[in-house]
Amino acid sequence: MLSHDAQMDYYGTRLATCSSDRSVKIFDVRNGGQILVADLRGHEGPVWQVAWAHPMYGNILASCSYDRKVIIWKEENGTWEKTHEHTGHDSSVNSVCWAPHDYGLILACGSSDGAISLLTYTGLGQWEVKKINNAHTIGCNAVSWAPAVVPGSLIDQPSGQKPNYIKKFASGGCDNLIKLWKEEEDGQWKEEQKLEAHSDWVRDVAWAPSIGLPTSTIASCSQDGRVFVWTCDDASGNTWSPKLLHKFNDVVWHVSWSITANILAVSGGDNKVTLWKESVDGQWVCISDVNKGQGPVSTSVTEGQQNDQ
Amino acid sequence: MEEFDGEPTVTWIPGVNSQKKQMCFDWGPGEMLVCETSFNKKEKSEMVAGCPFIHIIRKDIDVYSKILRKLFNESHGIFVGLQRIEEELTGKSRKAQLVRVSKNYRSVIRACMEEMHQFAVADKDSAIGRQFSSQVSILSAVELIWNLCEILFIEVAPAGPLLLYLLDWVRLHVCEVDSLSADVLGSENPSKHESFWNLPGNTQTLTELELRWQHWHEECERHLQDGTFASNPHLESLCKVLLGDDAALLEHKELLSNWYHFLVTRLLYSQPTVKPMDLHLYAQSSLDLFLGGESSPEPLDNILMAAFEFDIHQVIKECSIALSNWWFVAHLTDLLDHCKLLQSHNLYFGSNMREFLLLEYASGLFAHHSLWQLGVDYCDHCPELGRVSLELHIERIPLTTEQKALKVLRVCEQRQMTEQVRSICKVLAMKAVRNNRLGSALSWSIRAKDAAFATLVSDRFLRDYCERGCFSDLDLIDNLGPAMMLSDRLTFLGKYREFHRLYGEKCFVDAASLLLSLMTSQIAPRSFWMTLLTDALPLLEQKQVIFSAEQTYELLRCLEDLTSGRPLCGEPDAQQLQDDDIETTKVEILRLALARNLARSIIKEGSLEGS
Repeated sequence: MLSHDAQMDYYGTRLATCSSDRSVKIFDVRNGGQILVADLRGHEGPVWQVAWAHPMYGNILASCSYDRKVIIWKEENGTWEKTHEHTGHDSSVNSVCWAPHDYGLILACGSSDGAISLLTYTGLGQWEVKKINNAHTIGCNAVSWAPAVVPGSLIDQPSGQKPNYIKKFASGGCDNLIKLWKEEEDGQWKEEQKLEAHSDWVRDVAWAPSIGLPTSTIASCSQDGRVFVWTCDDASGNTWSPKLLHKFNDVVWHVSWSITANILAVSGGDNKVTLWKESVDGQWVCISDVNKGQGPVSTSVTEGQQNDQ
Repeated sequence: MEEFDGEPTVTWIPGVNSQKKQMCFDWGPGEMLVCETSFNKKEKSEMVAGCPFIHIIRKDIDVYSKILRKLFNESHGIFVGLQRIEEELTGKSRKAQLVRVSKNYRSVIRACMEEMHQFAVADKDSAIGRQFSSQVSILSAVELIWNLCEILFIEVAPAGPLLLYLLDWVRLHVCEVDSLSADVLGSENPSKHESFWNLPGNTQTLTELELRWQHWHEECERHLQDGTFASNPHLESLCKVLLGDDAALLEHKELLSNWYHFLVTRLLYSQPTVKPMDLHLYAQSSLDLFLGGESSPEPLDNILMAAFEFDIHQVIKECSIALSNWWFVAHLTDLLDHCKLLQSHNLYFGSNMREFLLLEYASGLFAHHSLWQLGVDYCDHCPELGRVSLELHIERIPLTTEQKALKVLRVCEQRQMTEQVRSICKVLAMKAVRNNRLGSALSWSIRAKDAAFATLVSDRFLRDYCERGCFSDLDLIDNLGPAMMLSDRLTFLGKYREFHRLYGEKCFVDAASLLLSLMTSQIAPRSFWMTLLTDALPLLEQKQVIFSAEQTYELLRCLEDLTSGRPLCGEPDAQQLQDDDIETTKVEILRLALARNLARSIIKEGSLEGS
């Protein structure tokens, strides 16, 4: 079986993988070990992505699959179980992403039916669904939340009051566009911006963590082989400027920021994972290639799959 | 896209080798995961496993070395001390202090080297021994560079003494030079020269020194010309060496271990009063002559050359590239910044170089289970971006033990990182609930000011009480204090426990009033009313009358409310009540007890005037 995605939990102590054999597996990887903790079955097609929720909500994992479903798994009394199943899409669900924990337990899902759904946990096992239809024509391939930023005042909010977060996320689709979405006061989601630069399907978007500067940054990658880094000077609020990181010779599938946003990792069709850093004068420089192939390397190896008998 | 100054390093992942597949990856808090995959989202994706492994890649493995840990710990102490050096100190005393700091750093490096060397020697033939050996060489190179930087940038040795410092530098580090070569090329003559210089406290000016040296040099030349040493080729060669003849020096190349040794030797015999600004010319030519076109400069050579050229930024840059760990560049840059030597070299994303390097180094520390505490201090001393960096890292520290969690929380609280405190307390509360440690869960949710969670835990407590008939974690509930107000359910829990206490202390009248008020004030959840009414029974059955007539009427009303089946605030329990046989019996008993109490209380209240 082929892994489609692997994700570390918040602390780097657990690993979740999902694969074409329809399973979602969870491993305990503390102290260099590898113990299979759970083998979760429930999807009826290849599972494309997994995402860990913030640990303050417990051990919760979301998975999405070709079978058009999104399943939310939860660990209760030491065992992992399916806690919710979302079947609101007409086509493969390609991407799932949890919102910043400050907003509550909210999951965004992007699907090949072009819609994006937002699942909000309202308590007692109930999830509320909001759907954005036709977010991207042909399909939505990726969703990524903006970091939580409390507008204006930084004063500690009294305990009963919820701060007024402006919730935003980015999505990438088969219409070659990246769209930025914002939640309005009435709770509805509105398209705030369209970022155009790619000439083919956008495969992934990643909104960088906030490092305390007044700029927002998004990375995007596409079928057209290009990776762009978009920045917005928050003072003006609405102008996003793209900078071409690199043009690869093949499809670029995945981009991801390190937790302090100082390194961008890019996974390309040229069978490499490259790491990029911003240089002194604002240019992006490749600092490392993580390549496939034979060769000595001092890494710790974790067996990601158990071979079927 | 800017071109990188060298080829990006390539890390090979063993076993993953296929034409068709790609690699997917994810960032962990301190490392990276990769595994083989195929990104093409087809339903019938290949079922063939290429490489079944998921690899975890770490850049900063030095953090895990036991010996280097001492280096990290001790240099942390020096770093923090340096940050606190009084700003008012200027001039000579400040410089002296900075030099002292530099020497401290170097002695820590040397101590580490020593220890590692011992391990290397003990384990000579094994792979580990070899690894230690190579670490020793790296540390040795690091100390070599640092020492040179100290001389050129911190000590700022002026012309004249510069050469002496360089001599010391070479002697200290070129320890492979055997004594024979030292005799021929070094020791005899320098000692002669040292007495010649007679520094410090030398009353001669630089010009006077130069003149005297010039005079001596000319005399040597004359002897050579006159063929004084013609009979003895060895002496003649020696004379040429003394005159700083490059060719003669290079003839004995095998006795010179490297080009900078050659450089210092040349300078000693041809330019003893070399000025710092001219150093780079001699350095470059020494390198070229020594290598003689046979080999190309190593990274170390480039670093030293940059230092001789007084190009601090280049030194930092080359070191960043050459070394696997940010330790050296971070601490050296910080020290040079304190010497006010770094121009404010602002990086595009707003950080200055010093902060950038310190935070890179600190990031590596956060991955370690105990060194993370050092990382906190480094973040503290980066006024621009340190705080945010700390906020991002501190939330990711695995809270493996209660002790560690408390340490992390203390760090956050000391820095008023209220969001992080809340988030961490919530995580701990959740963990406690899942492990059935309700008392712990409650105190964490109170600390997190998480009303919703406090309600959840309180409910659990109450449920436990109903099942077992007693409370757990009494201490905690008894001492809630103002925290009780966090949530209604929590307030109820506290007050209910108070009721039990009053009852235990036989303050029946107070207990009775409290019990009633819990229902009338709506603090008690409807689902609990039956329990409360049942709790009232022993009070109703007492010899003396406790509930007044009015109170009894209230209780009756509550009972009626509960059993009437009226939909109250959407709770379905009242309906269920009617269907339950046991409940019916209870209700009967209650009605009887209440009726009897009503009778007794009316009589008692009516008789008061009479007695």
